[in-house]
Amino acid sequence: MSCLLGNMYNIKNNIALGKEVVVMSLRSSLATAAGKSSYWLLHDILHRGGTSLPGKIATKLDPTVLKTIANKFDFIIITGTNGKTLTTALTTRVLREKFSQVITNPSGSNMIQGITGTLLTANASKSGVKPLAVLEVDEANVALITKYIKPKVFLITNIFRDQLDRYGEIYSTYQKIIDGIKQAPDAVVIANGDSPIFQRDTLKNQKIFYGFNHQPMVGDIKAPANTDGILSPTDDSILHYHYITYANLGSYFSTTDNFKRPHLTYAVTKLHELTPLSSTFDIDNSSFKIEVGGLYNIYNALAAYAVGRYLGVSNEQIHTAFDADAQIFGRQESIKVDDKEVTIVLVKNPVGANQTIDMIATENADYSLMALLNANYADGIDTSWIWDANFEKLHATNIKAVITGGERYQDFNVRLKMAGFTQQSVYPNLADALMAIKAVPTKKVYIMATYTAMLQLRALLAQKGYIKGGMGE
Amino acid sequence: MLTDNYAINVAHLYGDLMNTYGDYGNIIALNYYAKQVGVTVNSQLISLDDAFNADDFDFALFGGGQDYEESIVAQDLPRISSEITRFIENDGPMVAVCGGYQLLGEYFLLADGTKIKGIGALKHYTLNQSDNRFIGNITIKNAETGEEYHGFENHQGKTFLSDNERALGTVLNGNGNNGTDKTEGVIYRNVYGTYFHGPILTRNGNLALRLLKIILLRKYPNVDWQRKLANITPEFF
Ligand SMILES: [Zn+2]
Repeated sequence: MSCLLGNMYNIKNNIALGKEVVVMSLRSSLATAAGKSSYWLLHDILHRGGTSLPGKIATKLDPTVLKTIANKFDFIIITGTNGKTLTTALTTRVLREKFSQVITNPSGSNMIQGITGTLLTANASKSGVKPLAVLEVDEANVALITKYIKPKVFLITNIFRDQLDRYGEIYSTYQKIIDGIKQAPDAVVIANGDSPIFQRDTLKNQKIFYGFNHQPMVGDIKAPANTDGILSPTDDSILHYHYITYANLGSYFSTTDNFKRPHLTYAVTKLHELTPLSSTFDIDNSSFKIEVGGLYNIYNALAAYAVGRYLGVSNEQIHTAFDADAQIFGRQESIKVDDKEVTIVLVKNPVGANQTIDMIATENADYSLMALLNANYADGIDTSWIWDANFEKLHATNIKAVITGGERYQDFNVRLKMAGFTQQSVYPNLADALMAIKAVPTKKVYIMATYTAMLQLRALLAQKGYIKGGMGE
Repeated sequence: MLTDNYAINVAHLYGDLMNTYGDYGNIIALNYYAKQVGVTVNSQLISLDDAFNADDFDFALFGGGQDYEESIVAQDLPRISSEITRFIENDGPMVAVCGGYQLLGEYFLLADGTKIKGIGALKHYTLNQSDNRFIGNITIKNAETGEEYHGFENHQGKTFLSDNERALGTVLNGNGNNGTDKTEGVIYRNVYGTYFHGPILTRNGNLALRLLKIILLRKYPNVDWQRKLANITPEFF
């Protein structure tokens, strides 16, 4: 109760400072103000990212608050199981090249409360033109959001198996997204054409696809046994491929009927150079470079490109946007730990882990690997996905040392042992694991960590002064 | 080193459809231990429309899948179900996880009440609990061997064993087959059915070695596998 009083005090500050003032119902306006000022308190006074909490307070007071502010923006909703954070960051950058006002939500604030918080604290239009709001939205929250917000564009990155103990099966995840899209039939859906699951709907929306056209459409292969989502939407036969980029993505076709990958409006037409830190490639025969490794990130860039081109951003402007410094690629950051170059990569499911393995495999120098596994709610409490990731592949790389840690270090230790690694050192304690990094025989170190393990590591690195304080956003 | 060319052939039943929770790890674990006694593991995917000849294989893995894939597999299964039954009745060793375990039985009910026929090689059946899933860590104990097994269960189905089936273990903590009768999994001849993800053979080296011994003795009865396997350190986590 007392915090509400504090909020009332801060409302005045907000208004006085010229932040948005919206005409709305009394209840709604109180909700907005309460939400905004708790953001105020947290963000400006405590200097901490508090984007979810103000939204939570606001939606508690009035769930329709989102509707009241929804007509003040043109929305682009970005969803999918993997890559939505980076895709959102890249899309925002791309659109800022052409549009003067583009707001976005910080990663981690992709549920309805966080999004409400973001919108409540955003500045209103300066020019009379509606600002663009590029929103990363959790798959299960799309329908909650589109109840109030009708976006111009949906961008769907992909749907891979992701911690099923929380989210359920890929088809139900997909259905949740479709249910959300159905509430906005005028929106254009821009989706990954290389993913067969996106051909399963009966949406009336206009659809545009992007994908990889970097190889000739010859060949007839099947996906490996460990791949999900390889059934044809027409007759549930097993799909064949001309080529596979990764997981179940590629140029697929049915051998029992005429079903095949749809026409790609935007496509990667060539891969030039892939390293752990950068990728050079062509989209629609024009060369691009991003300062981040991994084929999956090329898909993210392609998705951002597709939205940009659809909204009239030029090739040159997209170029400029992609020339961003590597900081926006926060989930794959490099840190100096004394004389070691440490790269931390977040892993949360087998597809992501396999992509990380492929990315690390492009490393030319000798390196050491640290694998940190936790099994808290945010990590997924079932660790069995580590058995679906192909750690065996690392034998063909320049790997020189392996360290396992995290609360479930034993799981990872046995996984790597059974993958044929014999010399790994095991550290139940994270501080010890960090010390061990300093002793590895290589300059380069890659750390694969699940979400809460990464947070713990970051906190430790901050405490030791290797990175700036705070958890980041 | 003098080695005979020992090899075991694994049928990974519907491995591209029933593969949801690291089931492939069971083959990785088997391979890990087999290698230490000089045995090669060859794995072959048997999927929709593929032939399955019981005599070609020494071990079969039938994993768990998503509901949707499981229903597709159920439609294809009658094609090879008599051959799977023959494999089982010939004491073919097998691990069946979750959906695979359900499909070996008489039938299972989907959330919407649809009854999906299993192959009936084993006589258990599976009901559905509409608004609940059994999710979490589980520990069981096998009454005959005294061995404990650890895993992670995540299932909506509630399975009930028939009179000619033994449980893989008694639930010490967790839910097991149905949350009521304290049983988890099944043993029938050399078939081990379970709701354990984890996957079961990676987390429970005792069970992996027990199974490997069964597989090897069945294929190469004149070799002293007991002695060879005794030197191996089982892994647990
Ligand atoms: Zn399961």
